[in-house]
Amino acid sequence: MLGFTIEKRQEPLKWGSFFIFLVALVFSLGVSALLLAIQGKPPFEAMYLLWDGAFAHDWALEDTILKAIPIFLCSLGVAVCFRMQIWNIGAEGQYALGAVGATWVVLSMPEAPVWVIMPLMFVAAAAFGAIWAIIPALLREKMGLNEIISTLMLNYIGILFLEFLVYGAWKDPASFGFPMTIMFPDTAVIGELFGRIHWGILVCAGAGIALTIFLKHTRLGFEIMVSGENPRAARYARMPYSALVVLVMGVCGALAGWAGLIETSATLNRLQPTVVVGYGFTAIVVAWLARLRITSIAGYSILLAGLRVGVENLQLELQVPASFTGIMQGLILLSVLAGQFFNWYSFQRSKRG
Amino acid sequence: MGLELIIPILAATIQSGTPILYATLGEMLTERSGVLNLGVEGMMIFGAFFAFLVSHYTGSPWLAFACAGILAGLFGLAHAVVCLVFQGNQVVSGLALTILGVGLADFLGTPYVGLSADGFSPFSVPLLSSLPVLGDIFFKQDALVYLSYFLPFLFWFFMNRTKWGLAVGAAGENPAACFAAGLNPVKLRWAGIFFGGVLCGLGGAYLSLAYTHLWTNNMTAGRGWIAVALVIFAFWRPGRAMFGAYLFGGIMAFQLRLQAVGATLPSSLLLMLPYALTIIVLLFSSARGKGRQAPAALGVNIEPGE
Amino acid sequence: MRKLVGIALLAAMVAVAGFGTTVAQAKDLKVGFVYVSPIGDAGYSYAHDLGRQSVAKMDGVKTFYVESVPEGADATRVVNNMARKGDDVIFGTSFGYMDPMLKVAKKFPNTTFMHCSGYKTAPNMSAYFGRMYQARYLAGLVAGSMTKSNIIGYAGAFPIPEVKRGINAFTLGVRAVNPKAKVHVVWTKTWYDPATEKEAAKSLIDIGADVIAQHQDSPGPQEAAQEAGVYSIGYNSDMSAFAPKAHLTSAIWNWSAFYPVVIEKVKKGEWKADNYWWGLSEGVVDLAPFGDMVPKKVQDMVNARKAEIKNGTFKVFAGPIKDQSGKVRIKKGEVASDKMLTGMDWFVEGVEGSNQ
Repeated sequence: MLGFTIEKRQEPLKWGSFFIFLVALVFSLGVSALLLAIQGKPPFEAMYLLWDGAFAHDWALEDTILKAIPIFLCSLGVAVCFRMQIWNIGAEGQYALGAVGATWVVLSMPEAPVWVIMPLMFVAAAAFGAIWAIIPALLREKMGLNEIISTLMLNYIGILFLEFLVYGAWKDPASFGFPMTIMFPDTAVIGELFGRIHWGILVCAGAGIALTIFLKHTRLGFEIMVSGENPRAARYARMPYSALVVLVMGVCGALAGWAGLIETSATLNRLQPTVVVGYGFTAIVVAWLARLRITSIAGYSILLAGLRVGVENLQLELQVPASFTGIMQGLILLSVLAGQFFNWYSFQRSKRG
Repeated sequence: MGLELIIPILAATIQSGTPILYATLGEMLTERSGVLNLGVEGMMIFGAFFAFLVSHYTGSPWLAFACAGILAGLFGLAHAVVCLVFQGNQVVSGLALTILGVGLADFLGTPYVGLSADGFSPFSVPLLSSLPVLGDIFFKQDALVYLSYFLPFLFWFFMNRTKWGLAVGAAGENPAACFAAGLNPVKLRWAGIFFGGVLCGLGGAYLSLAYTHLWTNNMTAGRGWIAVALVIFAFWRPGRAMFGAYLFGGIMAFQLRLQAVGATLPSSLLLMLPYALTIIVLLFSSARGKGRQAPAALGVNIEPGE
Repeated sequence: MRKLVGIALLAAMVAVAGFGTTVAQAKDLKVGFVYVSPIGDAGYSYAHDLGRQSVAKMDGVKTFYVESVPEGADATRVVNNMARKGDDVIFGTSFGYMDPMLKVAKKFPNTTFMHCSGYKTAPNMSAYFGRMYQARYLAGLVAGSMTKSNIIGYAGAFPIPEVKRGINAFTLGVRAVNPKAKVHVVWTKTWYDPATEKEAAKSLIDIGADVIAQHQDSPGPQEAAQEAGVYSIGYNSDMSAFAPKAHLTSAIWNWSAFYPVVIEKVKKGEWKADNYWWGLSEGVVDLAPFGDMVPKKVQDMVNARKAEIKNGTFKVFAGPIKDQSGKVRIKKGEVASDKMLTGMDWFVEGVEGSNQ
């Protein structure tokens, strides 16, 4: 009737994702600005403050990058899971367990030299995070348990487990009873590299490069890449599908565990319940937006970290609640999801017209 | 523990389970129409906020309850637009809906934290409340609890005995056949998402109108996710949903009372109970396996032109 | 599309330039407040914000605040940004801001930092708090006089010293007038969650408690008490509006008695780093007006004790005080030091429940 029909494209639109994202971003910022205007806050000034607080100064950019580090590490693994249609939303809990693992090493050998303690922290954080991810992977493959639910519940349990330790056995006797462990010795602290940026960023680079090589230059990785939207149809030549799920989840957990380790060691210098602030959930947004392109994951991590940091500027100047970040994240995600339609479908002038 | 402690625990169980029951039935309806909507938590908190808002300004809890349902249903339609019109991924869209809903309710609701509004209070049902034990447990609750006693039956009757209910079920089992029978599965799914959202919103409204008469950010505290889990646990059947919701209400009521009587277990461990129970309960139901049938077309989009 | 984004950005910048910004005049003293929860919560942060408002009314002072700042890395950034933007005095109102503020204080030696509820100080950073436990003790006297079942319920927020100190002082008050009474504690691990906190209070009522006290910010426990027909004791601000039939009194904060004094000192250049711990005598903490159901006799007794605390003749934590296991923690003739109070991690005799 309108003279148009919808047709599916053979190939997704090249560069389409990027344009869709830009449109979605503008749309989301527009709606957010509208919300602010309704509450009587100046929308344009707000958008400027957001930009100013996130990217416009050296210190702002530093803050943003510092926040992007844990988000990036969590997103890497989640992106691989999502590609295989494994809906792991448990990065938050895996992150908490990673922090617990690293702290356990520090508390059991505070005197150890740096070349002993540091590698062990990384091993323990990876192992703890991986275990927290492999449990739902096994439950899914062996018992048919929905991984969305199990990873989500393990988030709650993991965070409470961290609290249990910090409020109990691990409490620093010199902290006057407040829930925190001892300060990490210098040997267990991830130091600054340039400015306030610590060498956790090198871990990000290393993990990113390793994953790229795995995905592009190994057969298994290639298969994960190409399996795309329909993993059940793809054949995994080297491994049974179940084993692959366990492997991918394990890697995801290990990376999220490292994020927890880095945040604990580099920015807090001790374990406190406040180490858990929702990076694992932001990672879901990043992973979906960026798919499996490592550079995109880095880009979106920085962007979403910037949103979180920039909103603080908004709070300071305009008293906008912190939840504003959530609104923008949700809107961006929804509008990108809707926009991706145009990546796969085109409107054709109807022949009967 | 004597009867004098068990009866209040069971009465509290019903109350804690009620918001979860509303939301579980809501998600169940949406899933029966073939759409997975992980936005339950977002729709619940949306409903909780608007229920409070409307009641605060109008002083009419029933109006607030109705508005909460309708607004949450409309909010849920964002999921319908993304998934039914634009073919977006249902899992991610639902997650986005939760992130957005929690953020919006917090953003809009911050000025209302700490205010109070009229709501529902418990009253005794004549005759029934004087039944020994049962009366104290079931019939000294508020109006929304009494309403929820009928819901699972109404749900069952609608899905199995009415034309529209059977059509919604068909959209979830086999959209192609549904289409061939002259029905429009996409429209049925729109309805499934909307009315599912309405029920989730009513569950949220229960929290701010009856459970307490207050509003706060994040007051749903993961109940929406428990509802999503319970749909699977319940094998998409309303009767079992009721059982599941009360099981959770029970564990929540139990862990606080365990502390009250002087248990010396650390509170962190006790607070884990509902979440650990979710996993155990799902394992139990998947191990038994029988009757474990999700709607066949659940989570699969209907592509345009099919 | 890029062009469009560019235009939008440009428009935004022009708009900003046009609007001008709300920069304070150079001579104004800029005072920043960092809150852990939303200020609308009618609770802890709300009480601090009332104090901020009284500072804002002073001449030549401009105030700013950020709410809902998580303790940890985010706090460091927020405090840092405040200092960078030229705030002269920064108040951090939650325990977890202690280390972040100390970090920032080292970098901004000309800025004055005030940290609430901690114990660390620096040349440009003071610690401050109120002796809420004094008001708690008085509330305990009321509760102990009013209970008939000798079971009193206490909904605890988080198992940290501030909360435990309050529970201990309250219990000492209860048992001073009613040695047979016990105080049962339930932890909610929340600061403001009406549903959970109300449920916690109900669970205490179910085991026979007939007076409910609380440490959280929400009036949920008050509601539970009102519905069940038992008494309640509020916290933070006067909670009588939420439960007029149940509310005996509340232990309340009054930061307006403290913040303007600090700002005045800073303006006159008389401020120096210290550990301020003000209480009833300075008016930072107090009891809300009694409900009608509290007999005159009890009111007089509590007011008499209040006067003794104010003039220093009575100390709440004066020995002998035993802990839950019966071990003597404060010997006869001794008074708990502020250091001991800051790190109080045990429960006094008469408290029932886990201390973590």
